[in-house]
Amino acid sequence: MHFLRNQLSKLGRQSLILSERYYPIRYDSNTSTDEKKTDDKNKNFVFEKQLTLQSSFENITEKNRDTYLAMVDVFLDRDVHRRNHVEFIYAALKHMETFGVHRDVEVYKALMNVMPKEKFIPRNMFQAEFMHYPKQQQCIIDLLEQMEDNGVMPDFEMQAILLNTFGRRGHPTIKYMRMMYWMPKFKNQSPWLLPNPVPNDALELAKMAVKRMCTVDLHSNVDVYHTNEVESAIDDTWIVSGMSPEQMQLLAQHSPEKSLRIEGPHLIWLRNQSLNYFVLKGDGKEYPMSTDDDEDMDDVSNLTFNKYGWATSKQKQVDVKRSVHEQRDGVIYAVCATGTSTKDSLLSWIRLLEKNGNPCLGQIPVLFKFRSNVAENLLVTSS
Amino acid sequence: MNSIKGSCSLIASLNKALLRRYDHITYLRPTLLNGNVSVVLPAAQLIHTTPNLQLFWERHRKGGYNRNVKRVSQKELILNGLKELKKEILLWKEEVKEKLECDPILVYRPGETDVMWQFTEENDLENWKVTSDRDHNEGQSFCSFDISPAGHGLFSGNVQSKVPIDGRVKRAGYCNLQSLRARKSFKRDTYWDWTPYNMLVIKLRGDGRSYLLNIASEGLYDVWWNDMFHYVLYTRGGPHWQIAKIPFSKFFLSSKGRVQDKQAPLPLNRISSFGVSVAGRGGHDGPFNLEIDYIGLEFDPVHTEEFAYEMYKQPKYTVAQ
Repeated sequence: MHFLRNQLSKLGRQSLILSERYYPIRYDSNTSTDEKKTDDKNKNFVFEKQLTLQSSFENITEKNRDTYLAMVDVFLDRDVHRRNHVEFIYAALKHMETFGVHRDVEVYKALMNVMPKEKFIPRNMFQAEFMHYPKQQQCIIDLLEQMEDNGVMPDFEMQAILLNTFGRRGHPTIKYMRMMYWMPKFKNQSPWLLPNPVPNDALELAKMAVKRMCTVDLHSNVDVYHTNEVESAIDDTWIVSGMSPEQMQLLAQHSPEKSLRIEGPHLIWLRNQSLNYFVLKGDGKEYPMSTDDDEDMDDVSNLTFNKYGWATSKQKQVDVKRSVHEQRDGVIYAVCATGTSTKDSLLSWIRLLEKNGNPCLGQIPVLFKFRSNVAENLLVTSS
Repeated sequence: MNSIKGSCSLIASLNKALLRRYDHITYLRPTLLNGNVSVVLPAAQLIHTTPNLQLFWERHRKGGYNRNVKRVSQKELILNGLKELKKEILLWKEEVKEKLECDPILVYRPGETDVMWQFTEENDLENWKVTSDRDHNEGQSFCSFDISPAGHGLFSGNVQSKVPIDGRVKRAGYCNLQSLRARKSFKRDTYWDWTPYNMLVIKLRGDGRSYLLNIASEGLYDVWWNDMFHYVLYTRGGPHWQIAKIPFSKFFLSSKGRVQDKQAPLPLNRISSFGVSVAGRGGHDGPFNLEIDYIGLEFDPVHTEEFAYEMYKQPKYTVAQ
């Protein structure tokens, strides 16, 4: 706490120099060493003031929710008139992401509360029509838009704040109403619901991703293995594997002469997190083309008695239903995500699959078909 | 100048700093200074507290984005036109033939998907265009639409929401795939008529991202030029194909990316183009991958909903009525 206090006192002084006004500071420390340091900093500040726009948010070393809210408190306590509150809110909005509070509705409310209540409510129809206090209204509209961009839904307390600040005809209030109409409609619309925010843990993410990919076959089992179950494994990591009984059956039918391949890494996104996964694939099974398709039913040039209806001479056979895993470009036998995404961990995956119900994998050769993994940052050239 | 000073102290202080240099700069051309000052000068002109807003009417359909298109001489225009004549006459021939045949589809059988676009070879990609913010130096996203190794349309690229520091662009990070506008021969604009259908069917293989489906319904006057109906395309991700069926009643109206207060159902007889876009907003920066087999239309008699959103009248003076 003492550290925070020191930080804030320094900041308070710097902002004083910036605004060239002297107001009582809330936190103050009288240590001489501190005095000296701030003096040095102030000199630089005065020198740079003309050219750079520097806000006090940048100078905080410990950036978290508490210091952010403390900054708002410092601003509120600095002055009864709250001069430059629009500029303060804009500066605060700009630094939300660095403080990690850009998804926190409470922080947005704290910023909104910086605006004085009652002052900006239009009192007649002309004021209402011609955007009463345009700077202030635009500022809060921008704040609401930032919330929208970050997927933060406002709540009813925010409605109360807006009504008390801008009244029911205010543009920010109307923007709030639009948000409250549209955002809940799409909040849970996705057929594959995910927690918001998604967990930061890679294993949890992998479990979610594999489960999501396996929704294509409801009988799928998602298993979490560890490489230490395999004797020859070098990597020490987890493997999340997804395979359904139908896929196991297909794999059992696979001819041992034909090789299987592990393709990847492919990318799957879970909200704003992405993850690599691998697919165990084999060549597609050839189905005999049914001869019925060749006959043109609209062609009446050569009519026979048994062309249509029950009297057709065609032999009726039970068609084999193609499983969902048999795609045109190959049969998908399993999907997995590993902690390291290395060839060794994938080899352990194959061994583990062999151990857990797929003994045929011992005879089938498995090839790796890796895509060259280009680092994301290299793809983007600076313009 | 006074009003700016009064309203925003930060901008005023910056302006002051620039004005002090102004005397020296005005009579020096940027070319004389090896381009060094050209960085300062446009910046000096760009400091406005409000953007230039043309409220009354719009000059260009592209909203000013075709300003950099090179203009060619009349002679060249005529020559180019003659070159395209052959193709246009072929198109016209087909149109006349279709009219004479007079054989429209009379029964739209439920549960049967009519494929509007299928992507199997390079020719299928001809009527599609990809755009991203990088095209106008407004960002760093890039994308492409080509045939995937498996032989389907592949819309892929990388979205980056990093905003370029030019003081003009506020947000960045989008990639867009769009069909060319519906047209008849001799470059005459027309509309697709999708009235017999009520579902959009897409067979796709995605990467878990959410994409935005855009159905443009361009109107006659400038206020309707940018009318577009949107809905979200949720993709599962993974190696399996997915068939997304989206009723047209779910599409909502927006213009220039702003959802409109006064909504209306999608006019199915006035469809001018179709598109898919992806955005990097909210930390979704990175590569994306959407493989499309076909985009089709379907009539589902079970779905009777006309419009999924409320149509009640808004209180007076809150929205444009």
